[in-house]
Amino acid sequence: MMTLSNISARSNQWITPNIAIMAVFLFTAPFWLTAVGLYDYIGLEIVIWLIYAMGFNLLFGYTGLHSFGHGAYLGVGAYAFGLFQHEVAVSLWGGLFAAVAAAGIAGLFVGLFLSHRRGLYYALLTIAFGQIFWFSAIKLRGITGGEDGLLNIPRPELNLLVTSIDLNNNVALYYFAAIILFILILFLWRLVHSPFGRILQAIRQNEMRASFAGYEVWRFKLAAFTISAMFAGMAGGLFSMAQQSAYPDVMAVHQSGLIVMMVLIGGGLVSFWGPVFGVILYYVARDILGGITEAWLLWYGLMFVLMVMFRPEGIAGVIHTLNQRFSKRPATQKAQVT
Amino acid sequence: MTQLVPHIFNGLTLGLLFALIALGFMLIVGVMEVINLAHGSLFALGAYFALTIIGVDPIADTGLGQWWLSLPLVSRYVVALFVAPVVTGLIGMLLELCLRRTYGRAPLYGLLLTFGAGIVIEETIRLTWGTGEQNLTIPDAINGATFFIGSIFSKYKFFAAGFSILAIIGVWLFLEKTPYGAIIKAGAHDSEMVRALGYDLSKLRLLVFGFGASLAGLAGIVMVPIWGLRPHVGIDVVIPAFLIIALGGVGSFGGAVIAAILVGLTVGITGAYASAWSMMSMYILLIIVLGFRSRGLFGRASALEN
Repeated sequence: MMTLSNISARSNQWITPNIAIMAVFLFTAPFWLTAVGLYDYIGLEIVIWLIYAMGFNLLFGYTGLHSFGHGAYLGVGAYAFGLFQHEVAVSLWGGLFAAVAAAGIAGLFVGLFLSHRRGLYYALLTIAFGQIFWFSAIKLRGITGGEDGLLNIPRPELNLLVTSIDLNNNVALYYFAAIILFILILFLWRLVHSPFGRILQAIRQNEMRASFAGYEVWRFKLAAFTISAMFAGMAGGLFSMAQQSAYPDVMAVHQSGLIVMMVLIGGGLVSFWGPVFGVILYYVARDILGGITEAWLLWYGLMFVLMVMFRPEGIAGVIHTLNQRFSKRPATQKAQVT
Repeated sequence: MTQLVPHIFNGLTLGLLFALIALGFMLIVGVMEVINLAHGSLFALGAYFALTIIGVDPIADTGLGQWWLSLPLVSRYVVALFVAPVVTGLIGMLLELCLRRTYGRAPLYGLLLTFGAGIVIEETIRLTWGTGEQNLTIPDAINGATFFIGSIFSKYKFFAAGFSILAIIGVWLFLEKTPYGAIIKAGAHDSEMVRALGYDLSKLRLLVFGFGASLAGLAGIVMVPIWGLRPHVGIDVVIPAFLIIALGGVGSFGGAVIAAILVGLTVGITGAYASAWSMMSMYILLIIVLGFRSRGLFGRASALEN
């Protein structure tokens, strides 16, 4: 079976062709999105969800830890951003910092409980903690606004040295989120190819062997969980700006399951870029299928089931297989940059 | 303390109902090491099948439908109680056929496949029966209220709790006292040996999954008069079932029943003091128990840990 180690070999490069392609698509998107029948807001949603999914895949694909309650940290980030705007000050960086810090602290706390667990019990505990966050968000009406959530969250101005940019325009917010996503992708790319990233992959392949090699496995599991929670928090902060509200729905176990589906369909288990395919496919399917039929989730679910049955390596895996079939280079060279 | 008695009693009945919900889930996870996340959707499906069997909406205007509707509700209900789980079991078998491709791979794939299948079933329910909340009519004999230890209880809860006890005993007898139960358990323990002895393991798995699914459907029929019937009722069901199995320990029948009653009591007693938080208490219970005993109360080593 194909795994992440098949495709992505060690890379010492900062910018690979794939990162360049990603950058081109990312920064030209507002110019062609409407031409292909989509709209600016969906681009914004995709970029935000990409931050979430790429961070999630550090945990899910690279470390092999299956979290089914990750929506909680997105929600914590969203609420933290909103509360910061309402209670402290209307500030972009302050709000985003609060979102990332709150999600990181929540992730660190939960991770401390989780990191000595494996397999089924790990997954189950992530669900249990996710449910606790979700319940709290609904029941602590005084802080979170209950089922309705926090409303009227402003989109603060982006203050650069000489000028300030109004983010109330969706395209402006898109570029802001896209730049953050791009920086985070560079960071993640370095991270997964650093010694730290290699240890995470060793843990995925055989946790016991990694611990016999002398690594304190739980510390690495804790770090992976916290980092991915912080990514979710950043996505949550941006999401509450995009929606101008924060509500408990994103924290429900159903939503946490959807991110797993997206990452798996895209091929997060075999490729760094898997989440990108998965998130794009989900949103495009939602818009196109959702325009045709109300039961679009039925077809998406069916596609997911077939994918798990026949192509568990996802879209990225299929692309890799096709590449291998059509190029004549020996396998060792091909594995260089993905 | 005396005020607490009805809450403890409520908790006990709730625990028995939780045990009924977890029964089919436990069978599949214990024997096949597959976490069936479609369990909740099969639960809902069973209840919707019963709804259709009792009301026969598609053929209500034909002669056959008229004759069926003229029968007393009790007999229609009893027929539904038997037929709907069987149909749900057939759907479960279909799911098992899809699952075969994930055998021999990491347990994650079985879990993901059933998660997707759960969504598919739920959406199919939405398309077939509509998105609104529906009522499963129950016979008068088990409807209404009754007095017990100084408080009012609904008769139906007694019926449901009694039914759970019967189902638990039935499944236990099946697993422990019949040759089929012995083969099933042996298949879980050492599948290669069972195959070498000449038993058809793939047929066995098909039957076990079908049986587990029909137990889910049965639980659905019994539970929805209390919880209400809506397409997404499944998600409210599968998470507690999952939690009870982890609490009791994978592969332990008694552990699951004890865990279910423990969860019921926790929810019931929390409900007495802080009703808004009662459903959350079970997650806290799980975190506390797994904090001290990583395999649950009575768990043994399992492939699902890897």
